[in-house]
Parts: sequence; structure tokens; C-alpha cells
Amino acid sequence: MLKMTHLSKVYRTEVVETYALRDFNINVNEGEFVAVTGPSGSGKTTFLTIAGLLETFTGGQYHLDGVEVSNLNDNERSKIRNEKIGFIFQAFNLIPDLNVFDNVEVPLRYRGMKAPERKERIMNALERVGLASRAKHYPAELSGGQQQRVAIARALAGSPRLLLADEPTGNLDTQMARGVMELLEEIHREGATIVMVTHDPELAARAQRNVHIIDGQVVDLAEDPRFHQAVHAARANSPA
Amino acid sequence: MDIKPILSALRRHKAGTVLIALQIALTLAIVCNALFIIQQRLAHLSEPTGVDEANTFVITNEWVGSPSSQRADAMMREDLRVLRELPGVADATSSNSFPLRGGGWDDGIKLTPDQVKDTSGAAVYFGDDHFLNTLDIPLIAGRNFRPEEITAMDVRDRLAPPVAIVTKPLADKLFPNGDAVGKTVYFVGNPTTIIGEVELLQSQSVERWASAFAWRSIIVPKRLAVSLGVFYIVRAQPGQLDAVMRAAPEALFKSNPRRIINDDDGVQSYATIRAKAYEGDRGMALLMGVICLVLLAITAAGIVGLTSFWVGQRRKQIGVRRALGATQKDILRYFMTENFLISCGGVLFGALLAIAINLWMVTRFEMHRLSLAYLLAGVLILLLLGQGAVLAPALRASRVPPVEATRSV
Repeated sequence: MLKMTHLSKVYRTEVVETYALRDFNINVNEGEFVAVTGPSGSGKTTFLTIAGLLETFTGGQYHLDGVEVSNLNDNERSKIRNEKIGFIFQAFNLIPDLNVFDNVEVPLRYRGMKAPERKERIMNALERVGLASRAKHYPAELSGGQQQRVAIARALAGSPRLLLADEPTGNLDTQMARGVMELLEEIHREGATIVMVTHDPELAARAQRNVHIIDGQVVDLAEDPRFHQAVHAARANSPA
Repeated sequence: MDIKPILSALRRHKAGTVLIALQIALTLAIVCNALFIIQQRLAHLSEPTGVDEANTFVITNEWVGSPSSQRADAMMREDLRVLRELPGVADATSSNSFPLRGGGWDDGIKLTPDQVKDTSGAAVYFGDDHFLNTLDIPLIAGRNFRPEEITAMDVRDRLAPPVAIVTKPLADKLFPNGDAVGKTVYFVGNPTTIIGEVELLQSQSVERWASAFAWRSIIVPKRLAVSLGVFYIVRAQPGQLDAVMRAAPEALFKSNPRRIINDDDGVQSYATIRAKAYEGDRGMALLMGVICLVLLAITAAGIVGLTSFWVGQRRKQIGVRRALGATQKDILRYFMTENFLISCGGVLFGALLAIAINLWMVTRFEMHRLSLAYLLAGVLILLLLGQGAVLAPALRASRVPPVEATRSV
């Protein structure tokens, strides 16, 4: 589903080159739930933005759903983002001027979908996250957990091949975070491929697989003993 | 691009939306009416006088020493002889006034002696048998004055011409059946027989007070023999105007030096006379044009400012839209459509306002009704202005990268 080979991302200024990702390799299979972890500044978010075609990369190869994306133009990248990728952001990123229904509708409109199909998909997605009754509410009228569930509904409505989540519970309290995480697990059980960036060992423990990044490279989790132990401890305490 | 979510977003930004729509509305209302006034003024200043303006000039002659009426008449006839004999002169005449002069005589004409209200007002021109030929106004019916019909007249004398020549607009007003020649009218209380009809001769003034009889003129067979002076109207042969304008005053001074012909405006070509006559109209048209441009510029700046502010404010939102699949064109179209919707609201209200302002001016200042074409032109200008003004900030918005969605504010 997602394969990066020897990928690099360099930020250049006049005086310095900074490698955000260096010789980065990752392979995520269809239906997997992968947690990408690492300390702050390790390159997790850069990986996510490149994976989600929000940014270009400097070198290497990236295949998404069998398509080599490095030569795609802006329109083609937009189309892939719209049709194959669902984004869940830490800050929810709902559009404050639009109500819940219109927010979920945004990616579907850019796909050129007809109104009846859009409506059916939106209501299905909102029912799935338990917010069908809040369709006419504006984001400011919802709690953080509800807003994140709307964002998940927005990501799901387009039936994406890949869900990319960037610290999806980072702005939520424990109870709301648990609810969102359970929702993601449920979506994964239904067959979705999920790549979640997090620095929370408890969340990482709930994914099928952990990919740990340090200094822009994938490393063995054992190379970060404290995080390794925290993940193991979380897994041990997990009710599953 | 569906407009529902854009309208929904605009409803959440009422203050900015309403303010810019109001600005568009006011601009449209003023620009429509200003353009209409400009057009009317421009049309006004190109109205024909009937005179062969390209070859004609006017000499304002004043006598020195207050000569008697008889003496003034004799000197005037001598002047006319001198002028007519000048090389390059097609013909010359004297008159109390001339079209576009800015002032002159006008009077009411009645069809019966006991009629209380005038049938029409008319501009009164004194002219001899050379008048029509000098101004190059062809007769379309009847005959010209005969030399023996021309009499001298002082300002103290009663104007009682036995015959007169009228313009077609005046003839049509007096006798709508088209048979004015040979008919008698009552002019200053005396019967006057219409002996000829000419197509066109504009009144002396282009101001509003003279608009009622702008082309209704009557020519009476008189020479104005007054001590103050007289106007000599001279038509040069084609291509000779400049030379004759230089030679004429010299010849007149040579013939009789007891006169004043001002260096500044004693000898004026019709181009100069026209320019002076329509100075106010041109000034008004220019002022209106400047007001239009300033208003349009302010409105455009307002749109650019508000859209730039909104683009800056929604940078993250634009990034989110891009992340969710919007292309650069989608973002461009969003802002263009948003502006179009605001502009549509503005021009709709502005059109009503333009009509209201025009109706007020119609009743208050006797303006003409605003033509629909000007309203449509104004609407088109404002919509295009809006789209043009929003283009730069909208392009800037379209270049916001999708990765902006992941950046914290």
C-alpha cells in the first residue's frame, strides 16, 4: 500500500542543509495499522506529510497504492489525496465557517460527486462516528472529541485506501482520546489501512506494528530503550 | 464550485461581506449616474450649431467715442465692405450675437396678437442679406432677405421686423403642418411674415435656460447700429482661416482706427468659441470621470484589502482544503466565486440605488431618465472590477501549499 525506499527530505537554506528524513525505508501493507513513533524532531510529521502527498521529497522512491508519486504534478497529487487518502489531524482542522455536514462534504465536492451520493456518504460517515444528530452544528459548538470524530467522518466519507492520522488524540483528554482510539481500531478491523503518527507509547501499543524514527531514519525500537519499555508496558496492561 | 458552502461561510463573516457589498452598491449607483451625466455632457458639447465652424470666425468690435446710431451704422457698413473685399473671405455679416456666444436676445412668438402665452420662445439673430451665406446655412424653403429689407436698429428702437427667417425646429413648433413660409406670427407684439426657413441654427447659449429653444431661432433683417459695437461674423474660404483672421483686424484698423478689438478675445475662431461655450460641460464630464475612477479605485482597493485579509486569516483552512483534495484552481475559483457572490449582492442593491438617485435627480434637476444600458454597463464594470481586484489575492491563496494544514497556528 505504502512503500518508501531510500527516501530523503532535505530542507536547504543558504548556509545549511537539514535532513528531515535520510535513507528512509518503510513498507505498509494493505489492512495494516502502523504506529509511527519517535521523539520530537525525529521526522515523524515530515514522514506523514510526504506520505500524504502534502509535501514533495528530495530523493528516493515512494509508491502509494502501486503508483510512483515523485513525478506527479500538483493536480495529480491533489486527485490522489482526494480519492485515496483520508487525513486525521491533531488539531482536527475542521473549517469553522461550515457546519458538520458541510465539513464532511468538502472532499466529496472536490471529487465532483453528485449531491444525492454525497448526502448518503456524509450521513453514513456521521452515523458511524455517532454524530448524525449534530450535522447542522458548527465546530465551535462541539467538544474536542466530537470535532475529532467529525474529522474522522470527513476522512472516512470518501472511502480512502489509506488513513493518515497525525497525533489524533494529542488535543484530547484521556476519555475522549480513548473513544477516538476505539473508533480508529474499529475502522481498522473493518479493513482500513491506518498509519498513525504518535509519540504516545500507549497509543503506539494499540497499533499492529510500530515503526520508530530517530533523526530521520527508521530504527529498531530497541534503540530507544525508554520508549521500547513504555510500549511493552502499555501492551502488557492492554485489556486485549 | 457549489455556492451553498460559500454562502454559508459568508454568513459567518457578515460585517466584511456587507461592508464590501455596500461599497460596491454605492460605487455602482454613483458610477452609473456619473457615466450617464458624462455621456450627456459629451453629447451636448458635440451638438452642431449649423455654422460652418471650420472656416468661420467672429470679431468683437467696439467703437471709440460713442458714435451716434447713424454713424455707427455707416461705419459698420464700411467695415463689412472692407471685410468682404479681403482676399480669402467667402462672406461677412454683422449680428447682435452668434451661436455659442453664451448670451443674446430671445423672445416669445405668438400665432395671434391677443394670445396670452407664447407658442414658442426663440433665439433672435440680427442678420442682413449676407447672414445665411456667411454662416453657410442653406435655405430649405422660401427666400433670403432682400437688401432693401435690411434696416439699422438701435437698442432703444422697437424690434418690429415685417419679415423673418426661421429655423425648421421653430417652424415645426409654430406650424406643425410644415407650411410656415408665408404665415404671419406675432413677434414682440407686431406681425411678422415668415419668408424663409433654414435647417439649423443653434441658439446663442448652451446653458439650461436656453435649452427650451436650443434650435428654435429667428433671423430678423436688422443691423445693430449701436455705439457700443457689434459682432462681425466672417467666413473664410477653405484653408484661409488663419490668414484671414490675421488680416481682418489689420484691414479694419487701416480703414478706421477708432475702434477696439481686444488682443485676447477680439478675434475668435469657432473652435475657440466652442471650447469656451462648453468649458463647463467638459469640466463636469472630467470631474465625473475623476470621481468614477477614484471610486472604482477605492472599491478595488477595498476588495483587494478584504480578500487579502481573508486569505491571511484562512491560510490554514486553505491548506486543509488542499490536503483534502482541492487543486490550485479550486482554491482560485473559491475566492473568485466568493467575490462574485458579494459583488452580485452589491450590484443588485446598487442598481436599485442608482435608479433611486436618478429619479431624485430627474425630479430635482430635470435630468434625463437613466438609460438601462448605463446600468448594465455599470453592473458589468463592477463585476469585472471585483473579479480583477480579487485575482491577485486569490492567486496568492491558490499557492498556499497543502502542508499548511499540518502547521500549528
